[in-house]
Amino acid sequence: METALNFNHILLFKTNISSHKGKQLLHTLLDKHPAVQCWNIDMEDSDYVLRIISETLSHTQIIEIINHHGYQCCELT
Amino acid sequence: MRSRNTDKEELVKQKAIELIIKDGLEGFSMNKLARACKISVGTPYIYYKDRDDLIMKVAMEELRVMEEFFIRDFDPEEPFEQGLRKQWENRYRYAREKPKMNQFFDQLRSSSYQEEFLSGFMPGFISAMTRFMHNITERGEIETMPFEVYWSIAFGTLYNLIRFDIEGKSLGGKPFKMTDEVLWRAFDLVVKSLKK
Repeated sequence: METALNFNHILLFKTNISSHKGKQLLHTLLDKHPAVQCWNIDMEDSDYVLRIISETLSHTQIIEIINHHGYQCCELT
Repeated sequence: MRSRNTDKEELVKQKAIELIIKDGLEGFSMNKLARACKISVGTPYIYYKDRDDLIMKVAMEELRVMEEFFIRDFDPEEPFEQGLRKQWENRYRYAREKPKMNQFFDQLRSSSYQEEFLSGFMPGFISAMTRFMHNITERGEIETMPFEVYWSIAFGTLYNLIRFDIEGKSLGGKPFKMTDEVLWRAFDLVVKSLKK
């Protein structure tokens, strides 16, 4: 649930996470991550846009985590 | 430093409505929207979680606007003819000020968003109209008939005329322009046919 959103806390990524398996991985990585307020992935979009709300995490940190698990991830600009 | 840009946010919303009307819901994507707004593909995601979120939020906001138009000065306790006249005034004003919105809502009504869309459907308005229908039926002001028949006569007439007016022509390509005379003549006949 997002309340009084600070737009600087919205991190957007282009990914290649298009499968259920990939989405399950995101659940594993992000659901209980202490620095992730909430997240979602738009599987309807050709960029499979991952949207993360976090006050402290940086784009680089997220990219590293996702890449480490074998998926492509870069900042969406 | 990202800050809220209300102009951009409004542009995203208006363009989304435009694209959905033009290409349908199936053809709509955040990518296409960003290109149409000439903004980066990430920008719509600042305001909306994803495509579904955008569609539902825009739909709910537009429904709220429609509701405001429909219930303005409408008193469900009024007699049948006065109440219906107010509904005609309000709906006609809405159609003139927001001519494309019916097409937008048609897209939603026949989509997978249907259930969610209908569940948020103008609760204030529904409550007022239910009250109005209850009153006019209780008072014996109108003939008994199924609701669908009532609605078709009471409002179908108006919406058909509005459609002719928007298209600039009626059946067989005959040119048509709505006038107050045409509108209220139709209204009088509708009232005559429904009133007991």
